[in-house]
Amino acid sequence: MKLNLTSRILIVALFATISCARLISHAQEPPRRVEVVAKRFEFTPSEITLKKGEPVILVLTSKDVQHGLKLDAFNQILIAKKGESSQVEFTPGEAGTFVAQCASFCGSGHGSMKLTVHVTE
Amino acid sequence: MPRTHHVCLLSLALLLCGCKVSKPSPLERKVVVAAEHDFTVGNRSQKNPLPLTKETLAAGKEAFGHYCVVCHGLDGQLTGIPFAARMSPPIPSLASRQVQDYSDGQLKWVIDNGLAPSGMPASKGTLSDEEIWSIVHFLRHLPPAGSLGEPDVYSH
Repeated sequence: MKLNLTSRILIVALFATISCARLISHAQEPPRRVEVVAKRFEFTPSEITLKKGEPVILVLTSKDVQHGLKLDAFNQILIAKKGESSQVEFTPGEAGTFVAQCASFCGSGHGSMKLTVHVTE
Repeated sequence: MPRTHHVCLLSLALLLCGCKVSKPSPLERKVVVAAEHDFTVGNRSQKNPLPLTKETLAAGKEAFGHYCVVCHGLDGQLTGIPFAARMSPPIPSLASRQVQDYSDGQLKWVIDNGLAPSGMPASKGTLSDEEIWSIVHFLRHLPPAGSLGEPDVYSH
């Protein structure tokens, strides 16, 4: 079967449209939500795993006093007031293991209140 | 009165006198401060890993404000601290030679581990390493004495 030029252009355009549609639908997937609870000098879970290049919404909820989360590696700071939640959306651009720290002085165990963030390729 | 009673009474009297807070003699202070600088306070050679920036200084001031101010004052120079001179030993101004002669690493060590004999508590775990290093920067760049006022806790 021999296709004329118009048919060829139409077929290429069709494939291009399908590819773009798939890309767009992928881009519109909502970012993954990762929830972390802060209470009495601990983050639960104490470790989270994210994927490099994949957008994520990180939600911090405080169950007692005001806590915070300082993610230096991603230039992000979250503050969750007493009994409230706070969230931030970002895309990890680097793989590795990073340690985030409570960003709001919360008492005698504040300095040891840490969250380990693993970012995989 | 049996001899054992005399011994007990004497021991009690010594204990009571020994518990009383009194100003250490200049010689006592000199010996203790020299021992702290040269022997007991470690970490002399560690450098501050945080760069000195406006942001680091601000972070140091904020971390210092969490609870150091209750004993050292907002300016680190005892402004408004009613008991500073009544402690044994008295709390030194953080701008004094006694404090500033420590290396950065030693200041970090003192904040981490506290200092005996004195009322300085250990803050490792209460403050993060980064906060403590930012405090070290703040200590090297203290504001003028009295410029930040007094801690609220003593005036309300």
